[in-house]
Amino acid sequence: MVERSPVLSMVCHAILIAGALTVCIPLYFAFVAGSLTVAEVQKVPLPWVPGGQFFDNLQLAWSKGNFSRTFTNSIVVALGITAGKIAVSLLSAFAITYFRFRYRMLAFWLIFVSLMLPIEVRIVPTFEAVANAAVPLQWLADALHVADLWGWISGHDVAISLEWNMVNTYPGLILPLIASATATFLFRQFFLTVPDELCEAARLDGASPLHFFWSILLPLSVPNMVALAIILFLFGWNQYLWPLLFTTDKDMATAVIALKGLIPRSDSEPAWNVAMSGALLTMLPPALVVLLLQRWFIKGLIDSSK
Amino acid sequence: MSGKTRRPAQEAGLKRANFGDGPGLPTLLLLPQLLILLFFFFIPSLRALTQSVLLSDPFGTTVQFVWFDNFKTLFASSEYRQSIAVTFWFTVAQNVLTLGSALVLAFATDRIVRARSVYRTIILLPYAIAPAIAGILWAFLFNPAVGPLAQMLHRLGIAWDPNLNPTDALILVTLAASWKHICYDYIFLVVGLLAVPVSLMEAAAVDGAGPIRRFVSIALPMLGPTIFFLTVMNFIYGFFETFAIIDAVTKGGPAGATNILVYKVFVDGFVNLDLGSSAAQSVLLMSFALICTLLQFRYFDRKVNYGV
Amino acid sequence: MGRKVAFIAAMFGALALAGSAQARVEVQWWHAMSGVLGDRLNELVEKFNTSQDKYTVVAVAKGNYDEVTNGVIAAYRAKRPPEMVQIAERGYMTMLLSGAVIPVQDLIEQKGYKVDFSDFIKPVASFWSYKGRMSAMPFNSSTPIFWYNKDHFQKAGFDKPADTWQELESQLYAIKSKGISECGTVLPGDFYWSLLENYSAINNQPYGTLANGFDGLGTEFVYNKTKVVSQVARLKKWLDDGVMQIAGQGFSPEQLFTSGRCSTFVNSTASHGNIERNATISWSATFLPHESDINPPLNSTIGGGAIWVLKGHTPERYEAVAAFLNFVAQPETQVWWHGATGYVPATNRAYALARERGYYKDHPTREIAVLQLSRGTPNENSRGFRFGNFVQTMLAQRQEVEAVFAGQKQPQQAMDDAVKRGNEILRQFEKLNAGKTPETERP
Repeated sequence: MVERSPVLSMVCHAILIAGALTVCIPLYFAFVAGSLTVAEVQKVPLPWVPGGQFFDNLQLAWSKGNFSRTFTNSIVVALGITAGKIAVSLLSAFAITYFRFRYRMLAFWLIFVSLMLPIEVRIVPTFEAVANAAVPLQWLADALHVADLWGWISGHDVAISLEWNMVNTYPGLILPLIASATATFLFRQFFLTVPDELCEAARLDGASPLHFFWSILLPLSVPNMVALAIILFLFGWNQYLWPLLFTTDKDMATAVIALKGLIPRSDSEPAWNVAMSGALLTMLPPALVVLLLQRWFIKGLIDSSK
Repeated sequence: MSGKTRRPAQEAGLKRANFGDGPGLPTLLLLPQLLILLFFFFIPSLRALTQSVLLSDPFGTTVQFVWFDNFKTLFASSEYRQSIAVTFWFTVAQNVLTLGSALVLAFATDRIVRARSVYRTIILLPYAIAPAIAGILWAFLFNPAVGPLAQMLHRLGIAWDPNLNPTDALILVTLAASWKHICYDYIFLVVGLLAVPVSLMEAAAVDGAGPIRRFVSIALPMLGPTIFFLTVMNFIYGFFETFAIIDAVTKGGPAGATNILVYKVFVDGFVNLDLGSSAAQSVLLMSFALICTLLQFRYFDRKVNYGV
Repeated sequence: MGRKVAFIAAMFGALALAGSAQARVEVQWWHAMSGVLGDRLNELVEKFNTSQDKYTVVAVAKGNYDEVTNGVIAAYRAKRPPEMVQIAERGYMTMLLSGAVIPVQDLIEQKGYKVDFSDFIKPVASFWSYKGRMSAMPFNSSTPIFWYNKDHFQKAGFDKPADTWQELESQLYAIKSKGISECGTVLPGDFYWSLLENYSAINNQPYGTLANGFDGLGTEFVYNKTKVVSQVARLKKWLDDGVMQIAGQGFSPEQLFTSGRCSTFVNSTASHGNIERNATISWSATFLPHESDINPPLNSTIGGGAIWVLKGHTPERYEAVAAFLNFVAQPETQVWWHGATGYVPATNRAYALARERGYYKDHPTREIAVLQLSRGTPNENSRGFRFGNFVQTMLAQRQEVEAVFAGQKQPQQAMDDAVKRGNEILRQFEKLNAGKTPETERP
């Protein structure tokens, strides 16, 4: 602080209070609506003070949203995306920064063209491709006449019919969301800042590349991994379009999708109270992550942009 | 494209101390990522490309090759042009609002001592909230029939009705989208402000510059690269990541007023079952995103090569 | 362990059919019913499953009609379709020409069941059949009717809503001006269906050429030259004068009616279940109004859905499908479903049975839809609507009507634009399906 200026300080506090209020007001009304009965929540205008149904509604939302199941799914999907993306990205970033090989630049560009292409953009073909991910393999098998060849060798008539149906499976929910280069990019940027001496020393000691990766590079990357993990967990938990399209089985839905099912539609009871309780429940895990791991979360945000 | 100052292309982004040649191990290391990208990125993208020159029924039983008819139809349709315009205004408004609020909040945070972390914690909260949920909260708040804030506007004599009025609808989704994203810009700016040297500020203060003057003439220019970066990120957010907000709040209506490009891809593909047109739109959006990627890359790589 | 095996089987699951050792043949039915209707549908399936011990139908709710359609298309392309799927009336042409379905009449006859297809009530039968053969099993057939708040009308000094739009308008304005309710009516979410399409049928207005698409793929929309334009202008006027409200995205127009805020509501007869459960008002229902210069009004048309049978399954599964469809077509089932949901009984025998049992004495509003659907002799303006890509043309039209509501366009301009956009979409469908004849191949 360069100089003291009480007036300006007050103005600043006022600004920040206004900002905090803007954040809190929608949440507060969600809480109010979530504490009313169906009849009360339909009344106009909505009361400004909460009613007494909060815990009943929470319970109702929990059971109606099948949350004991869908929360598990969300956790599996979010953790799957987090772990999968970090693992895959670490390896490929390592390959790209620490090895000289012929197709390095090709591999580099193959990976990085996907950097800013979210799944929403290519949603229809992705859906088709992943609904039966074996289709391209089938093309390949057909093109190479594998079946004919086998038939000729073995004397039997065979048909190869591949099926790799990923609708309503965890891999189907997780893998397409791993298919982007953001994390690879982060680790690449980080590896480029690691002092060259470390690698040189390792090589002098005769350490293998994997040994160097495992015992030197990985420990150095832990802070980045943790920070990134938080961002990816939030990303995974909050996914909407992909799980919406890709889960047709109620038991495979994620929490956000189950919440969507609680939102009143024209042919259902206008139970906004339950929907809002559900919204509060669904945002609780990521909110806790942001609140409790704030320092790491901020690091993650800043890192993933460098 | 000044080739002189750059290292040879072959070496770009390679550690000086590396493990040398031999394609075996690196290929193995790259394999998981490349396979995932192949199945879930390249094949779908290729399908988008091929689908975009086809006319096909949804069940895939009849397929006709139509050259670039899908693109021609798209460019000829007023709906697509409207969608482009809507996307443009939505992202620009969202960008200005987000960045503007974030700057003011960051400035205020930088000036105070007490309760700083409390404010920061609260302001960061929306990052945790799924866009779909943010959309639902705002749709509820501003619903003309039951929403408490809409009721307040009505009492002030403002005929607020986002279900009817295209401008209101656009305002509503812009508010919801910004509410969700201010925290992102905010935290970058707060961190950026911390990096502004106190000595510079003190020197300016000695010269008689007030706090706001100093912010504008010293801190802001130093934040330039961050602001540029945030602008690009805000555009990407507005273009692609607000899908759930649109779906939860307006479904692209009324009268197409909030039918942003990425939402239209979805509706044409999954509701209208017009796969060719949807694929053509995907191709256009992907090309656009690719250009953004290349731009960001030049920016990033420069930073890496000379900045670190 | 078991999990892992199952997972691998799912990944490379040519083995998917292996080991189905149970005696019962299981078939899937994907549907779009939610809320009260979804509960009733599950009861219906349960009735079938307990009525015999050879087959099990598994009912799977897949979201709304759009989501079900998407799901089934993706599943079909991935070679994993369900045996049966419920598709809305708007998807008729898409399904008929898809090459992915087996006509239900063929299947049922081939499996030796005797369903009297001539007994289906006329608007239902003529809509769901192609060249006199039923393509899909009519399941949930509805039509819009006019719901009203009895107290509001009495307070304003009216017995009931008037028969014509003109008189109705003055009634709604009177209710509003006397401060009896906040709004005379609420715009239904599917207003294009009730207030434009059915409006055209009832008032004998052509919607498209070639008998609204019944006579060929070359059909073109013409509703920009009919009373639809003045109907849109009327709605706009009501909106401006506060006589009509829009509930908006995520909110149910029905709620504005059942809570007593708006005095009337045009909606499907299938809302009976919900309205009976949620309404805190004394309500009744009557026929949709007609224009004063159109007398007598024609029949309204059906909406709702039918059960389609998809290709690609084993003969024994089609046995189960045929058994279930036969069960659905039985008068007893029909009467039960009619009573439980408010949907129209699909056969004359079921309707007669309901009458015989005095059902309509206790539930007079349940009969309105049947009477309205079957009044007069359907002509080419009122037989129904058979347009390709009908969801897409409808969305384009809805967008244009919204532009009128927003004050961006005049009704005539908007309907001209809607027709122009719609016709382009129709031409695309025609181009794609030129020369196709629907499947008549036996399973």
